[in-house]
Amino acid sequence: MAAITHPLHSLTLTFKTPNPRFTPLPKLTISATSTSNRHISDRKLTAAVIGGGPAGSSAAEALASGGIETYLFERSPSGAKPCGGAIPLCMLEEFSIPPDLIDRKVTHMKIISPSNLTVDFGKTLKPHEYISMLRREVLDSYLRSRAESKGVMLVKALVTNLDVPFQPNQPYIVNYTVNNRMEYLPVDVVVGADGANSRVAKAIGAGDYACAIAFQERIKLPDDKMEYYENLAEMYVGNDVSPDLYAWVFPKCDHVAVGTWTMCSKQYIKQYQHGVRSRVYPKIAGGKVIKVEAHPIPEHPRPVRVRGRVALVGDAAGYVAKCTGEGIYFAAKSGRMCGEAIVKASEGGHRMIDESDLKREYLKQWDLQYKTTFRFLDLLQHVFYGSNAAREALVELCGDEYVQRMTFESYLYKKLAKGNSWEDFKMVSNTIGSLIRCKLVGKQMEAFDPNVLAKVARLHKIS
Amino acid sequence: MAFMSSTPTNLPSFSSSSKTHFPINTFLSLKPQSRLLFVPVRATENGSGAAIVVDEKKDFETKEDPIGNGAPVAGVVEEVVVFEDPKWVSGTWDLKQFQKDGATDWDAVIDAEVKRRKWLEDNPESSNNDFPVVFDTSIIPWWAWMKRFHLPEAERLNGRAAMVGFFMAYFVDSLTGIGLVDQMGNFFCKTLLFVAVAGVLFIRKNEDIDTLKKLIDETTFYDKQWQATWQDEKK
Repeated sequence: MAAITHPLHSLTLTFKTPNPRFTPLPKLTISATSTSNRHISDRKLTAAVIGGGPAGSSAAEALASGGIETYLFERSPSGAKPCGGAIPLCMLEEFSIPPDLIDRKVTHMKIISPSNLTVDFGKTLKPHEYISMLRREVLDSYLRSRAESKGVMLVKALVTNLDVPFQPNQPYIVNYTVNNRMEYLPVDVVVGADGANSRVAKAIGAGDYACAIAFQERIKLPDDKMEYYENLAEMYVGNDVSPDLYAWVFPKCDHVAVGTWTMCSKQYIKQYQHGVRSRVYPKIAGGKVIKVEAHPIPEHPRPVRVRGRVALVGDAAGYVAKCTGEGIYFAAKSGRMCGEAIVKASEGGHRMIDESDLKREYLKQWDLQYKTTFRFLDLLQHVFYGSNAAREALVELCGDEYVQRMTFESYLYKKLAKGNSWEDFKMVSNTIGSLIRCKLVGKQMEAFDPNVLAKVARLHKIS
Repeated sequence: MAFMSSTPTNLPSFSSSSKTHFPINTFLSLKPQSRLLFVPVRATENGSGAAIVVDEKKDFETKEDPIGNGAPVAGVVEEVVVFEDPKWVSGTWDLKQFQKDGATDWDAVIDAEVKRRKWLEDNPESSNNDFPVVFDTSIIPWWAWMKRFHLPEAERLNGRAAMVGFFMAYFVDSLTGIGLVDQMGNFFCKTLLFVAVAGVLFIRKNEDIDTLKKLIDETTFYDKQWQATWQDEKK
């Protein structure tokens, strides 16, 4: 195996025994058959994947396909997770998602600025390009059943605790409840895919992360209003709908989801939801709220993502992109990468692995592949979501076709789109120009005399 | 067909034709600063809907109540405050109305847009599909922005730079006897000049120093969060 030197630090390839810095636990003696010497002769490596969402199912599938004895724990297989439900095109190919799972193909997107400047995003999409909207319960159960078909043992149970062993060569104990019985399972490797409130992360002391809260209402619209959202999604920006992020109207199978999310003003989320509803009002009037849901969304990766023979993937690790809040693809991809890393390091389940294997094969590869993407999106969020003036500039810029094409290509294929340098230069100078102009208008707004505003309105009857 | 929701707010339905079914619903939460007024309306049999006469010039605080005989309250008609200006025509500023001495008065356009955006910030409006807003700041030519905003600031900064430069040149000359031309040949003097120019450009108020420090922290913060997992190695 070649030593891959990451530009930010170099890691020499050694198999060192991990430091025994596990937290003290009640003594539980299980005689493990494997020693710290790498090769396990009489059995395959066992792995437990906690959490059966896209991350967990992909990890389990990769593990089982590689010959590792895998157990997938999911507490409510039929649950519908609150989620935007949009996945990029590349996910359909990479994860072989059958097209009949897709509820809706979004080909148009409207972005609306605080001053209601509306741009139509999607003029550059080719006929085979779209954003797929799915129901999470449909996607999750498909991925789980596919994992099962590859040999994963599905355990419908709630994992209550993970016992981290004292000695480095002892197994991890997964404590779970099934049918009101407490059971336990010793495994060699654990993959924590249990989402934003991960118990696995707590067990290994992975540290905390800041979360945004997303709030969404599912609204069933009358048919004529639903037609407007046939394959259109809308994104609203403004201090009235979210002070640091955006609000959305996403079409689902037969209803729309209207929601918003915020990181810095979580206590006012209901107010922002009210703000979105007001902004969308004429288009959703007459609709019926069928469900209200909320969920935390991690803002950045946890301080520790791998410890011992436990790896975190998906939301549990904090792999949610800034600016867009996209998490499904990254969850599935990280699950798969982690699973493949374990398979590779254990040579198909015949060798014991340790922390440095996980870090080298999974974390380093992941960081190498996606850190730039995440950093770039963080930059975009800082620049464009900071104030109303910046948001106006963002919407102005999005009217440009080149920007639209680059954005969609990067989003749909998760690869930095190839542009031409002259257009790039124009885009950058337009960005600077728009930002300057909108900031100037913003500064003028701050200095504005409010008494002048009182006479400008008229009452307008909506019928 | 009840309108069900676990939050206190319900979506009121409004109707344009009475042929559709009108459920009764109650509207509960009204934020004090929201200017939505909900007026119950009696729907007539032939479906002519509500007839609320709205005077265009009236101030937005009026409330009207045309309920007559005890016909059931059927729907609500919403009165919403909307931005209106004679020069704002179908989603953009009508530049022909901004003429001054035969040319467009861009300063007035900028002022009008500032007023509109300030209004919308305080009274967010829902986007209108009939007259989508198409005005953006790129319609105003670059030189109008330069003339109004950049040039006065540039004058101020150049003035400062000139004052500082003159005084420093005099001061160094008095201390060392080296004239202005010879000063420019010295590396240390060139560095001082560079620092002076950069300082004048980036630090215009005392608060700017803190702002710059915060900016640097913010840009590197996310990176630090990603690197956190590798810190274990170093220990």
